[in-house]
Amino acid sequence: MNDPYSVLGVSPTASDEEIKKAYRELVRKYHPDNYLDNPLSDLAQEKMKQINEAYDIIMRQRGGGGNGSSQSSGAYSGSGSSGASEYARVRAAINAGNIPLAEELLRMMTNRNAEWHFLMGSVMYRKGWLDEALTYFQTAARMEPANMEYQQAVNRFRQQHAYNPYNQSAATSGCCCDNLSTCDICSLLICADCLCDCI
Amino acid sequence: MFGYIRPLRDELKVREYEHYKACYCGLCRALKEQGTPFSSFILSYDFTFLAMLLYDTQDAPSVRPVRCGANPLKRRRACLTFPALALCADYSIILTWWKLRDTVTDEGFFRSLRDRFLSILLKRAYNKAAARRPAYVGHVKSALKALSRLEQEESPSLDACADQFARLTAALAEDAPEHRRRPLEQLLYHVGRFIYIIDAADDLAEDHKARRRNVVAARYGLTGGALTDAARDALESTLLHSCRLAAAAYELLDPGHFAPVLQNILYLGMPHTCRAVLSGTWRSGKNRKNKEFEQDE
Repeated sequence: MNDPYSVLGVSPTASDEEIKKAYRELVRKYHPDNYLDNPLSDLAQEKMKQINEAYDIIMRQRGGGGNGSSQSSGAYSGSGSSGASEYARVRAAINAGNIPLAEELLRMMTNRNAEWHFLMGSVMYRKGWLDEALTYFQTAARMEPANMEYQQAVNRFRQQHAYNPYNQSAATSGCCCDNLSTCDICSLLICADCLCDCI
Repeated sequence: MFGYIRPLRDELKVREYEHYKACYCGLCRALKEQGTPFSSFILSYDFTFLAMLLYDTQDAPSVRPVRCGANPLKRRRACLTFPALALCADYSIILTWWKLRDTVTDEGFFRSLRDRFLSILLKRAYNKAAARRPAYVGHVKSALKALSRLEQEESPSLDACADQFARLTAALAEDAPEHRRRPLEQLLYHVGRFIYIIDAADDLAEDHKARRRNVVAARYGLTGGALTDAARDALESTLLHSCRLAAAAYELLDPGHFAPVLQNILYLGMPHTCRAVLSGTWRSGKNRKNKEFEQDE
């Protein structure tokens, strides 16, 4: 295996804090959410695995007991399982990366319900036909507004928080106290002041 | 060829900008070496991007000072022709020649006079490049045939038309080493899709005036030669999504020497181009920016 430090892109003399920061940045970059329904998701998973392994090795070497690597890879199989065996075949074809087969199976079906539109959208998305993908996802979401899977697929196009190295505001979040507003701080200070008075 | 794929210059470091310029000048030299002394008129930002992308090592390419025809008083630093640069010069000649021929066959005699002249000028360079890359010429021919068939059928599908063009750009990755090919193909597919759609959006008013068919107008049912708010939002969302997928594919490649410039192009330059074209500020700023770049030293 490669040198774990070079996998994380840090020098062996880096502090624990620097390593954690580099690790967090890489996890954000290769997070499965960024590669949802993407034909390259297997390569991203591979990267994620290497990064997690490297981080664990370094943390074990340093005696920190690397508990940061939360592995949640895989399992993006579109677990709809709504009974119909035809759709199960389509999903299997999509998961196996056989997009032409999935498309052909879908085109042969006559009963075009919400799931049909959703799966056609997934096929189009994987082909890179994003305009048509969105149209199919929207139709699916309109036919079954309560279905979260369909809604999420539509929202994917509005998503603004995808990985972007230039967007530092997203990079710094993750600290435990960054959701404190000025208002919260003020009220905390007032509380503390009251307590002081009590004593 | 189109000039839509370029960095956001204000966000580049001076060093990165120098690397970019050296590669741009290097491509110009390569075009002359691979083609004829005239063929550097087709020099473009898009193929500079491709050359940087296909240059896969971390070491800096060798650079030498050269004199430039556009500004002979100043010496510039240009990359020596590395293999990816020679490849890009060939691809650039082949694609541009076919694009010119396409206009010549589609348009009337007088309207196509300029392109007719340019294609004659490029003919000898094209013959040389085509002899070196016969497989790619095959791709170009079949994709352009499919594209013109779709246009004749008046297909309202934006994606189906963009797909043919995007296949052409994805095929540029075919000589890449095995482990880089899949991410590169996906990256170039979305860059090609982006170029095709943004070009159609950019030409909307011109095509309307000349009564030419425009795929964006057909998709969104635009009749006035201008974008409606709904069409603009839809285009922005689909184009930025292509940028995002191209960037996601890029991150799976090992970073090479030009990584900072490439990241700038994918994360800042392309989204900036997209917004500028859709808001109508692209054309007014375009020529000024180009001149700035050429005279700048």
